[in-house]
Amino acid sequence: MKPKVIILRASGTNCDLETRSAFDFVGARTELVHINELLNGAKKLVDYDIMAIPGGFSFGDDISAGKIFALRIKKLKSDFNDFIKAKKPVIGICNGFQVLVKTGFLPYDIELKQRATLYSNDLGHFICRWVKVRVNKNSPCIFTKGLPDEFYLPIAHGEGKFISTRSIISDLKQKNLDALLYLENPNGSYSDIAGITNNSGNVFGLMPHPERVFFSLQQPWKNKGILSIGYEFFKNAVNYARGL
Amino acid sequence: MRILEKNQDEINFLGSSQKELLSLNKKYGWSLNDKELLMVKNYFRMLKRNPTRAEIETVAQTWSEHCKHKTFSGPVDFIWKDENGKVKLSKKFKNLFKETIVYTTKKLNKKYCLSVFEDNAGIIELYDKSDWGICFKVETHNHPCALEPYGGAETGVGGVIRDILGVGLGAKPVIDTDVFCFAYNDRRYEIPDGFLSPHKIISGVVSGVRDYGNKMGIPTANGSVYFDDDYLFNPLVFVGSAGLIKKKKITKKVEVGSLIFVLGGPTGRDGIGGATFSSADIDEDTSSSHVQIGHAINEKKVLDVLLKARDLDLYTAVTDCGAGGFSSAVGELASDCGAVVELKNVLLKDKNINPWEIWLSESQERMVLAVKKECVYELKRICEIEECQYYIIGEFTDDKKLRVSYDDKLIIDIDMSFLHSGLPRIEKKAVYKERKINKNLTVKNINFLEIFKRVISELNVCSRRSIIEQYDHEVMGQTVLKPFCSKNESTPSDACVIWPYNVVGNFNDYRGFAVSSAINPSISKISPYYMSFYVLDEAVRNLCCVGADITRAALLDNFCSANPNISEVMGDFTAAAIGIKEAAIDMELPFISGKDSFYNQTVINGKNYKIPVTLLISAVAPVDDVRIVVSSDFKNEGNPVYVVGEFMKGLGGSVYSKISGEKDNYISPIDLKKNRKIYLRIIDAIRKNYILASHDVSDGGLLSAMFEMSLGGYGVDVDISKACKKYGVSDVEVAFGECGSRIVLEVDKRFEDKFIELMKGLPFIKLGDTSDENSFIIKNDDVVLINENPAVLKKFWEREVLR
Repeated sequence: MKPKVIILRASGTNCDLETRSAFDFVGARTELVHINELLNGAKKLVDYDIMAIPGGFSFGDDISAGKIFALRIKKLKSDFNDFIKAKKPVIGICNGFQVLVKTGFLPYDIELKQRATLYSNDLGHFICRWVKVRVNKNSPCIFTKGLPDEFYLPIAHGEGKFISTRSIISDLKQKNLDALLYLENPNGSYSDIAGITNNSGNVFGLMPHPERVFFSLQQPWKNKGILSIGYEFFKNAVNYARGL
Repeated sequence: MRILEKNQDEINFLGSSQKELLSLNKKYGWSLNDKELLMVKNYFRMLKRNPTRAEIETVAQTWSEHCKHKTFSGPVDFIWKDENGKVKLSKKFKNLFKETIVYTTKKLNKKYCLSVFEDNAGIIELYDKSDWGICFKVETHNHPCALEPYGGAETGVGGVIRDILGVGLGAKPVIDTDVFCFAYNDRRYEIPDGFLSPHKIISGVVSGVRDYGNKMGIPTANGSVYFDDDYLFNPLVFVGSAGLIKKKKITKKVEVGSLIFVLGGPTGRDGIGGATFSSADIDEDTSSSHVQIGHAINEKKVLDVLLKARDLDLYTAVTDCGAGGFSSAVGELASDCGAVVELKNVLLKDKNINPWEIWLSESQERMVLAVKKECVYELKRICEIEECQYYIIGEFTDDKKLRVSYDDKLIIDIDMSFLHSGLPRIEKKAVYKERKINKNLTVKNINFLEIFKRVISELNVCSRRSIIEQYDHEVMGQTVLKPFCSKNESTPSDACVIWPYNVVGNFNDYRGFAVSSAINPSISKISPYYMSFYVLDEAVRNLCCVGADITRAALLDNFCSANPNISEVMGDFTAAAIGIKEAAIDMELPFISGKDSFYNQTVINGKNYKIPVTLLISAVAPVDDVRIVVSSDFKNEGNPVYVVGEFMKGLGGSVYSKISGEKDNYISPIDLKKNRKIYLRIIDAIRKNYILASHDVSDGGLLSAMFEMSLGGYGVDVDISKACKKYGVSDVEVAFGECGSRIVLEVDKRFEDKFIELMKGLPFIKLGDTSDENSFIIKNDDVVLINENPAVLKKFWEREVLR
């Protein structure tokens, strides 16, 4: 079975092509769909097995990053809730993570209230660099299963500082929902959080870009072999979806 | 539609004397000259009526320096004098541009050039018999950035991306470039009212490029920043973009009866008269309201709709709305047929706008398409999904006339032929005088370590990290050679390499392309003629360093200069143009596109601040296999370190001479025919896997290049005395000189013999070996000049350029 991936776009999404390529490579069928095509009924979420919300500047990141996209998604909240409840994998990368946080899907809130935010980097501007990250081995996250302990991922964002209340953060940590952590914190994120998941581990949002380190050619250093660490994230999602 | 009514907004041309016309010209800011005013008068005398405001503004924009480049493509009376004033050469050019830039392309007649000088960007083949072409364009946005750096830079980036969207039937942009010239950000200058400090300009420009480029989702991945006092009031901002286009989508065709479909944002009063304004000097009274306002997401929507519609064949021609707005875009598309336009249909963001202003507005993020009536429904549907605004403003006709109305009242009714071919030529006087040259070194007994620390912390040499990190140079995932290479992203790269697997849609196709650039104002101040050779050579050398195929490369020229009516300014410009022609012929590389920007000078209290003639050469070349690309960081210990290319006499234009006060300003001439052979041999060595690291020697000289290579985890231990002996130059020239064309190579020791065999007959020398990460050891025979840890030196180099 080839799982069908919806790469959910909005005006200003810009990492859609490389995200699609990543899923194509690991044997999925992919489709780029604008949120307006879901809203006008031309496409149905239920027809897909995996969802990816790629990076970019949806609606210009006006108001705050991912906010307007999140509001559009909430118009279809029962469709999205059904998708998540069916344990179908959902990944939000960079702007996609911001969207998942602003919809209230991450950290998950039953009434879909926003429980955290991604705020302007401590440096005060956009940063693009490679940072060392660590995987929380005890996390239920299905995307990070079997990954090495530490590796480098590229980040590229202006609003990546994960902020929430003390109780929510300690809850995330206690349940090991803090799936990905910075070893070199580039933006001031609380508790070095780079990515979080939900209780079932099927919804994952992260600021770094695994789709940009899919092939070893994409690293700033070169080594033998075709594939790099990002491949693992996408392969995990497709394997998991095949088992559903 | 009614015929043109009398007395509505007309300008009294027929009843005005030449003197009165000149004062009207100044009052309205048309930037037309005597002959042009007379031509307009004669044309309308023939029509037996006065021009309307809309007509004269349209003519002024179309004929402006910005749109027509009449100085470069006009006649020039050129005299070349030596430093004693003796005439060496006297030559009359009928069309300087055609006899220099275009001449090289025609003479070389490269089959891989698919489109040159005609479209919004030049196009070359991605590889032999490929379905794909690479298009590349670099623009300047100097005047706007001087007044409003953030907005100027944003709209500069937006504009050059639209050039790529407007090539053929639209290309997909895959890399942006940016090159800046500013005054020193770490010096104090007296800034008069109405001007901005270098700090404000640089931070505004960088933020503008960042915010626009990042939001467009195009990696800004190649460029440079140059600092010199001469750019204090006239900063230069070059922005480039390259894209990929299927060969079968290269030709536009406007069909009669097709609709004039505008894609993108609404039209407002921003940026009216931009083209005419950039064709004049800046003075204290210049207003920043000439600068347009950018909105990147609107342009992203345009990009998304355009490429979708292109793949569905929903339009047959497209061009961007740049300088001159609809006037230029419609004028260009309709130049062979004709057009009727109704401005009432234009979506406005400002209701208080005159019809002629709608026509001329340079509001950003708009593209004009020729759409067949049967395709309109589907195109509108895509626009609605993508939330992209659109409006239909008219139709293409076959009467060779441009007719524009507002609310059914005709405001323009002129012949296309008058608009596009009626340009009178003005001869410029050009006198180039060679500068005085001092060939003897004046500074003796230097402390190499201390001087070296100052060299690497000079703004022209130090790290650009604080700028580069603000750009998303990774988006699209195709940047395989990034601005910084090595595991800790420390060593700057010579060129950027793109592997367009997403756009081409094939993981197994490892073909790609490289982009590089070079600029050298400090040599230009000594010799604009030699500067051209050095700049072209460096751009190609950068491509060679990464292993790109320079036999299939193409060049872009971007000239910036002061007021061309000053004969010395035009003289320097012409000398540079002659130089670049000779350099390109020697290197056997064609130009495919370019741009020139004049009037980069500012008069304050009677003093004229002029920039030196500044030439940016941008180069693009295919890479046969992106897996063999070589980066510039040393890869291991104990490998031999070679320098290929001659060490030459002269410290002219070097960072060292600026720091030490050295009076020697001699510049050795370089032979590009010879260099071409060297570069081809190095590329061969890269393809054979002999080379582990390569880096070109440029600003700061040899030691700076080797230092940058030592930042990635392995250092170096070399003896420069061998180079002094072999080439007969001083240790200072070897260490810090910037003359000649040199490349530092780390050769895989397993292949050293084969490498030596391959290089036979070329100037090359072994200086030492790579070492451990703590060593940066430079010796002159038995004297240790520098023995320091690269990590310690890095603190001097890693300066925040933006502070």
